[in-house]
Amino acid sequence: MEMFTWLDKPMSGMTFLNMALGAVIVLGFILGVVTYTIYFERKVIGWMQWRIGPNRVGPLGLFQTIADVLKLLIKEDIVPAKADRTMFLIAPIIAFFPSFMVLAVIPFSATHIFTAASNVGVIYYIALSALTIIGVVLGGWASNNKYALIGGMRSAAQMISYEVPLAMSLLAVVLMSGSMNLVEIVEAQKNFPYVWYIVPQFFGFIIFIISATAELNRTPFDLPEAESELVAGYFTEYSGFRFAFYMLAEYVYVFAMSALATTMYFGGWEGPFLPGWLWFAIKVSAFIFFFFWVRATMPRIRTDQLLSFSWKVLIPLALLNLVATAVVMTLV
Amino acid sequence: MFGFLKGLKVTFKQLAHKKITLQYPDVMPDFGERFRGVHKFYPEKCIVCNQCARVCPTSCISLSGSKREDKKLHIDTYDINFEICILCDLCTEVCPTEAIQMSDKFELATYNRVDLYKNIYWLDENARVSDGLLKKGETEEQSGGVK
Amino acid sequence: MAIRTEELLMNIGPQHPSTHGVLRVVVKVDGEIIVDAEPVVGYLHRGTEKLAEDLQYTQIIPYTDRLDYLASMINNHAIVGAVEKAMDLEVPERAEHLRVIVAELQRIASHLVFFGTYLLDLGAMSPFLYVFAEREKIIDLFNRLCGARLTFNYMRVGGVKWDTPEGWVEEAKQFVQHLKKQMDMYHELVTGNEIFLNRVKGIGKFDTETAINFAMSGINLRSTGFNWDLRKNKPYSIYDRFDFDVVVGENGDCYDRYMCHLKEIEQSLRIVEQALDQIPEGPVMGKVPKILRVPAGEYYSAVEGARGELGVYIVSEGKDKPYRLKFRRPSFVNLQLLPKLLVGQSMSNLIAILGAVDIVLGEVDA
Repeated sequence: MEMFTWLDKPMSGMTFLNMALGAVIVLGFILGVVTYTIYFERKVIGWMQWRIGPNRVGPLGLFQTIADVLKLLIKEDIVPAKADRTMFLIAPIIAFFPSFMVLAVIPFSATHIFTAASNVGVIYYIALSALTIIGVVLGGWASNNKYALIGGMRSAAQMISYEVPLAMSLLAVVLMSGSMNLVEIVEAQKNFPYVWYIVPQFFGFIIFIISATAELNRTPFDLPEAESELVAGYFTEYSGFRFAFYMLAEYVYVFAMSALATTMYFGGWEGPFLPGWLWFAIKVSAFIFFFFWVRATMPRIRTDQLLSFSWKVLIPLALLNLVATAVVMTLV
Repeated sequence: MFGFLKGLKVTFKQLAHKKITLQYPDVMPDFGERFRGVHKFYPEKCIVCNQCARVCPTSCISLSGSKREDKKLHIDTYDINFEICILCDLCTEVCPTEAIQMSDKFELATYNRVDLYKNIYWLDENARVSDGLLKKGETEEQSGGVK
Repeated sequence: MAIRTEELLMNIGPQHPSTHGVLRVVVKVDGEIIVDAEPVVGYLHRGTEKLAEDLQYTQIIPYTDRLDYLASMINNHAIVGAVEKAMDLEVPERAEHLRVIVAELQRIASHLVFFGTYLLDLGAMSPFLYVFAEREKIIDLFNRLCGARLTFNYMRVGGVKWDTPEGWVEEAKQFVQHLKKQMDMYHELVTGNEIFLNRVKGIGKFDTETAINFAMSGINLRSTGFNWDLRKNKPYSIYDRFDFDVVVGENGDCYDRYMCHLKEIEQSLRIVEQALDQIPEGPVMGKVPKILRVPAGEYYSAVEGARGELGVYIVSEGKDKPYRLKFRRPSFVNLQLLPKLLVGQSMSNLIAILGAVDIVLGEVDA
């Protein structure tokens, strides 16, 4: 643990370099993950629909996403004439940044090299992921497009509503482990009674996974970009690399949310025989697969049903779960 | 209550289903003998009865013929405008000598609309290509001349 | 002090992923609630009826393929049926059977597309690909029969153009059995899904009286509980020889319309099965005059299309071309009720309602 001492020391040139290097490596890593998450999504959904998915670019279509991203990057950067130009330009960046920043607290493996073992990891994640909403609403507003506006408004309502049950279901885990530090939460799952929190917190996990799907704007909660209603929702007017930013943010969140679920409920890097990072990768992939699987199956829920489901069902249940956990933890 | 779980089961099962994607254009699909693609034309069979031009719902066929030494009508020009042809098959239905038929060629996309006016030579060549007498893109001379 | 809100005028279409073509709906929304809606049609108008005035009766048949392009065979059946009725022509038994088989297979294909696109509208994309795989098999059968995959131009006045190729009947039988199994999968995948049920139950409701007042027909009418199917009530062709049930709904909401579509596929499968078993040998083309001249007068004849009563009204002066030809296009008629259904609904319901009314723009605009 010698090399993490810079976390606690005052800032110096060397620690800054370390941090910058770490951030760049994580960024490179996450870009690779997103590239192949998209590839994986297209393949999995393709297989589920009797298709073969991308198979043209490179062997087995492995370079398909890279080609797509390159195409997006060299496209003309179109800004609609009636758009609020400054807002329109910065909105995708605002949406993307928090998605990347939340990765700072995700413990990828036991020797979490570039992970800040922050004492408020859970709060940090929730707080930052909420920032993305601003980027989305801003993008919808600045486009000066009715579809985009409705998409942006929908996503604001949706993300705010689902942030609450998401946070409350996570708090139950925090209660159990007695820490907000994601690393300590993983380590707490090693202690007695040697079970991942999915077992005692199964109820909370269901709430978490529903809210997480909604938070990620994925089917069946993909209303903000509901294609059949709103064309493309808040990014209707976006193209080129700004569009890529939104997509990137979306898929980074898929990864981040899967990583969070793994950490909170499935013991993070814990697991027998295999190295920690591999366990982590397997668990995260399983979550990502689950999101894609749901996407291939479910129709889309309706806006009003979505909101009333959150406020009338999920939040009371999450509260109940939280109180029950607290009571049990006090008694035991 | 948990009907959606059944749905998840269904989609999961489909992972192992046979993939049905067609590998067009690497593998050309087999459309069968009745397929109505672009016309092929056999000038030697044509008796210039003009029935095809009359029955055509979009009037996309225009033809002309003349009397030759044997006192019979022979076809001179035969043009089909594939901009408006709807490949309805009525012309081949009325043709008494089966001079106009449908081939299994169907890819008509071009960069220029003028290319969609097909004349007697093109249709004749299409007939020989589709009957296997001539390879695609090959000219009369290269194949040794059929006529 | 109340917050001042403004109504938003939105154009849904003509370029929109789920208006099923080029329908344009001008909606006024207050937030997400629709205050006013007006469908604007005509973006796909090709003047089929006017064109038909200058065409011989045989030449009109390929044009009808392009009306309801998801159910070309039934359109064919409508026009040839009308001319035959007007001219009092006999159609050979085998041709009649073939017509029923292809018309019912086409109805199945059309309802499958409804199922797929409706679920696509509601956000589920897998059913769309599953049904298109099955539809592809029907299209392949048609392709082997008549050489086209969408615009079949298969029926002729007095019969059908082609007899079946070798092995076609057996393959069709196999397909019927295959699809029967497949139907269970669709129900399992979609019908039990709570999200789906919440989206469609009680949405877009109208009663029988409204439906009749708006001259609706087909599944839109039957879903309200009114038993009206031209195949049963005014049997044409040889439909009176087959044993099948008319599917009716109860509440007239989107869920009933969805269920009627799926159940009607099952009934159509029954008809196809019986027709394939009974199909006699013989010619497929009856004796018809070389040039068709409908005697002077006015004639109306209708078939049960995939979307409702598909009528053909011929005004003839005794020439080889109609003086006036009018298609009663069920999609167009059914669309009338849309504005009434939409007011007060949310944007998401717009798609659910529009999808369940099941229009094909080729037919709406003709």
